[in-house]
Amino acid sequence: MKNRLMCHLIANYPDFNKSFEIAEALARGGADSIEVQFPFSDPSADGPYILKACDIALKNGFTVDKGFDLVRRIVNITKLDVFIMSYANIPYTRGLESFVKESASIGIRGLIIPDLTLNNDEGLIELGEKYTIPIIPVITLTTPQERIDAILSIQPEYVYAVLRKGITGESTEITNENITFLKNLSQEGVKVLGGFGINSREQVNSLAPYLFTSVAGTVFVKEIEKETGDMINRIEVLTASLVTDQSTTTSKGGDFSSSINICR
Amino acid sequence: MNYSQYFGEFGGRYVAEVLRPSLELMEKEFLDIIEDRDFWKEFDILSKDFTGRPTPFMFAENSTRIIGGASIYIKLEGLANTGAHKINNALGQVLMAKRMGKKRIIAETGAGQHGVATAAACAKLGIPCTIYMGEIDIKRQRPNLFLMNLYGAEVIPVRFGSRTLKDAVNAALMDWSGSFEDTHYLIGSALGPSPYPSIVKTFQSVIGKEVKSKIAEKKIDVEAMVACVGGGSNAIGFFSPFLEENTPRLIGVEAGGKGSDRGKHASRMSGQGKSGIIQGYKSLFLTDKEGQILPTHSISAGLDYPGIGPELAYYGKTGRIEYTSATDAEALEALQFFAKNEGILFALESAHAGAKAIELAGTVSKDKAVIINMSGRGDKDIFITAKLLTPDEWLNFLRNEV
Repeated sequence: MKNRLMCHLIANYPDFNKSFEIAEALARGGADSIEVQFPFSDPSADGPYILKACDIALKNGFTVDKGFDLVRRIVNITKLDVFIMSYANIPYTRGLESFVKESASIGIRGLIIPDLTLNNDEGLIELGEKYTIPIIPVITLTTPQERIDAILSIQPEYVYAVLRKGITGESTEITNENITFLKNLSQEGVKVLGGFGINSREQVNSLAPYLFTSVAGTVFVKEIEKETGDMINRIEVLTASLVTDQSTTTSKGGDFSSSINICR
Repeated sequence: MNYSQYFGEFGGRYVAEVLRPSLELMEKEFLDIIEDRDFWKEFDILSKDFTGRPTPFMFAENSTRIIGGASIYIKLEGLANTGAHKINNALGQVLMAKRMGKKRIIAETGAGQHGVATAAACAKLGIPCTIYMGEIDIKRQRPNLFLMNLYGAEVIPVRFGSRTLKDAVNAALMDWSGSFEDTHYLIGSALGPSPYPSIVKTFQSVIGKEVKSKIAEKKIDVEAMVACVGGGSNAIGFFSPFLEENTPRLIGVEAGGKGSDRGKHASRMSGQGKSGIIQGYKSLFLTDKEGQILPTHSISAGLDYPGIGPELAYYGKTGRIEYTSATDAEALEALQFFAKNEGILFALESAHAGAKAIELAGTVSKDKAVIINMSGRGDKDIFITAKLLTPDEWLNFLRNEV
């Protein structure tokens, strides 16, 4: 039994080669997909761990070109689904069209730009259609229903569900509120990526029935930061521990089958 | 009132989905209060009794004589309670937050003036507040930290990034992402996601309105109005009644710092600012070719910020507002000039405007006038100015205190 897991990594953190080795370790550990964050100097939705890691990645010379090189290698070698996440100013400065076009040419599965949202997207959604690359909107627990309807009406292939208020990296308790929220979303036939505060197998297990995939990020940054033993090996072990569902997985009902894709 | 989320190509609401509902609610509330007489009645009473409005409008007679050109007038906005124009907006937004049923205020601060104003307004109106302030700014503006605490505010030092104003904004945004249901984020500058730039402008427009009525009363022929521009709250308020008219010239003065080299200044409108989408709004920012924010420098913490309010960027583009910059040294010189000749103490921020206004006045004929907005007073800066101007004496004083 295995849970679907999207693992987040920061391009060029701690450096270019290491970030590629981390991607390989995630693949070996059983990740289904990788979300590569292109670091920005002022990542206002991220908590202290990712913020610090982005700082280090930038100090070590991150450029968007290097980011695309890294993603190209990850796509070609690991064969996993790869997504790119960044803040608006990075693709905007590059030129949104050129950023989307290059992303599409590499063969990534989607783009997550949290501060370019529906109606304030600078044309990103249209560019996604033009280059047939999914633009992944974010939906949170407090997003009003009519806004959710508007977002879903553009028929995104994926949505990113934020499982709690606040920033990345604080632990999230999976509550009935989360489950109801995810149940409702997954009934819409969209692939739901769920993240923010995912750091244990128990969380991944309890979310798996309602998600296309769980997303874990800060937990890896914390692991990379530790200075003991073989970091690459630790990342692989951690990934394996998150994806392995050792409890008996039972489907919690048939009405959200579109999202159930936990066993392979 | 003309309300729009955009000013030409600038402005907008580029925030994470989690913050959208709060901004929509705030926009609705803001459009409501604009028409609400009771709200403005309360605001006006507090402005008069608590802030000390109207602030004086002074003919700088000695300076005018010494320079020998245009008449120099100074709007002494820094004589408002808490020492700067920041109180106008703080008071307005705290009243608005209470009307929205919010139970807590958060704010960012650079120089500390917005933090002090927010803390005082919250003390006056009885609502708890938390202020985020960069660690470097705390070092530069220690007295303001003390004052904020005295007013009962909790001040949280920001230890990430460049540890200045922009990072304090990020920290406040992070707090707000988790606390928006019961918390109002009180932005102090005319920037951030819509509707903030319009809210701040509205509450600061009292400065410009008072100046406009004085111009009429005294029948002054105004050549130019000069204000310093960090994020731009004092400038947009001071300029607001004149933006749709063709005169007088409106001049924004940015921080020229130690020169035009990268990282040595905070002049976004000098040609070095690039179009960007950062901290919720589109405007001109000091970024590198990849879009990463560049370090900035100014002697004044209040001007030490990589972005400019979107409406100010827009009027820069249309040419209605002209931009120039004053260096650290020029600001310090102007501060001494007005202290000695007029008996008034400019904040280092406002002294940037003072420096360029003196320069301009010398080139303009005597029948014209130049008006400076002294947005803040300089008591808060003595740890910087005394150290620079009288290093030995100041060091001795500090030694004795220890």
